[in-house]
Amino acid sequence: MKFTPELEFEGGKVRPLTLDDLDHLWNIYQQPELPGQSKPKEKEQLARLVDYSIKMAATQRGMMWLLEVDGQVLGMVNVYDWQASLLRLTMRVDGLPELSIKHRQAALSACMDFLAKKYHTRNFAYQWIDGQKEEIRTMLTNLGFELRATLRDAWRVGNSGFANIEQYHLLNNQEKPKAGRLGEFDNPAQNINKDVPTETQKETK
Amino acid sequence: MNWNFIAGDYLLRLPVADSDRTILQTLLQVPEVSAHIPRLPMYFEAQVDDEFRQMVQRFDAREAAFWMVENSEDKLVARISIQHINWLQRSAYIQWELSDEIDLDGLSVVVSAIKDFCFKNLGLHRLEMRLRPDFQRHIQLLEALGFEYEGCLPEQLEFQNENIDLAVWSVLAK
Repeated sequence: MKFTPELEFEGGKVRPLTLDDLDHLWNIYQQPELPGQSKPKEKEQLARLVDYSIKMAATQRGMMWLLEVDGQVLGMVNVYDWQASLLRLTMRVDGLPELSIKHRQAALSACMDFLAKKYHTRNFAYQWIDGQKEEIRTMLTNLGFELRATLRDAWRVGNSGFANIEQYHLLNNQEKPKAGRLGEFDNPAQNINKDVPTETQKETK
Repeated sequence: MNWNFIAGDYLLRLPVADSDRTILQTLLQVPEVSAHIPRLPMYFEAQVDDEFRQMVQRFDAREAAFWMVENSEDKLVARISIQHINWLQRSAYIQWELSDEIDLDGLSVVVSAIKDFCFKNLGLHRLEMRLRPDFQRHIQLLEALGFEYEGCLPEQLEFQNENIDLAVWSVLAK
């Protein structure tokens, strides 16, 4: 069963990880964007990451996509700290230096659209760590994220250093499903594939 | 490592499942005690059983620690915990549930001892508290205890049909 879909965006696509991607993952992890992030020593370590990505998606704890532009793998889109019941999660895009901000933004947007539609996610968080590219902050603002908190020394860099985390949030306008029995309030219950009509749509009817 | 210690007139000790049920329920059944978190008051025995199960499991996993805080008359005046301990990032959440019988002076002594324990014995670097932003008593206590406000995260919980924002306050090891 596939839990992580392939999604297209202008100029590229995101797709699930497979064991054939170890070279791509190795390349990405040899050029870490996150301050203080260590590099894996052996390629085989990354096979566990592929396995992890499947388990995380299957249990709604996280999701990982490889990000391709013109057939070249240039990064990853990650979902973590996924609180499916609370309709919120945190995202991050890790990219190679050649990944443009335009494609980064488009990939992130495509994944967010999918998560909002499929899992009714309302609350998207994104953590920018002090030392990352400044243009990522601009991208977040362009997408409608707002800076909500600056967590001091919340990211460890090396053995004794720390960096601040800026936490951004975007709340979409999607209406929360109402609690009720199956059929009550036209409630989707556990059928997450069913669309929930918004108040506006109900009024139109 | 000894997780029980004395701070001024207060004893901080890990809970004992068999003997602490009643006194913990007495504290946590008062709605105001947990309203800032927020959490339902502990009215029923089943809630107490579940709470103890979680406290034990989370401590065994070294993911959290819960202290019963008793005054010189052996009366439980607070429960204070560290949770979501992240050993990699060297951070944890701190949470308190206070009775009216502990004031700022008492809390200063107790929290200072917990900070020392966390920063020196556990090697943590950052303690943060997340709570509802509109609880003035707690905000005043946090300010007085040297915590700094970092912002407010939207819609972190749903509680009693209400979306709950949580303010973040933190204190760092010096």
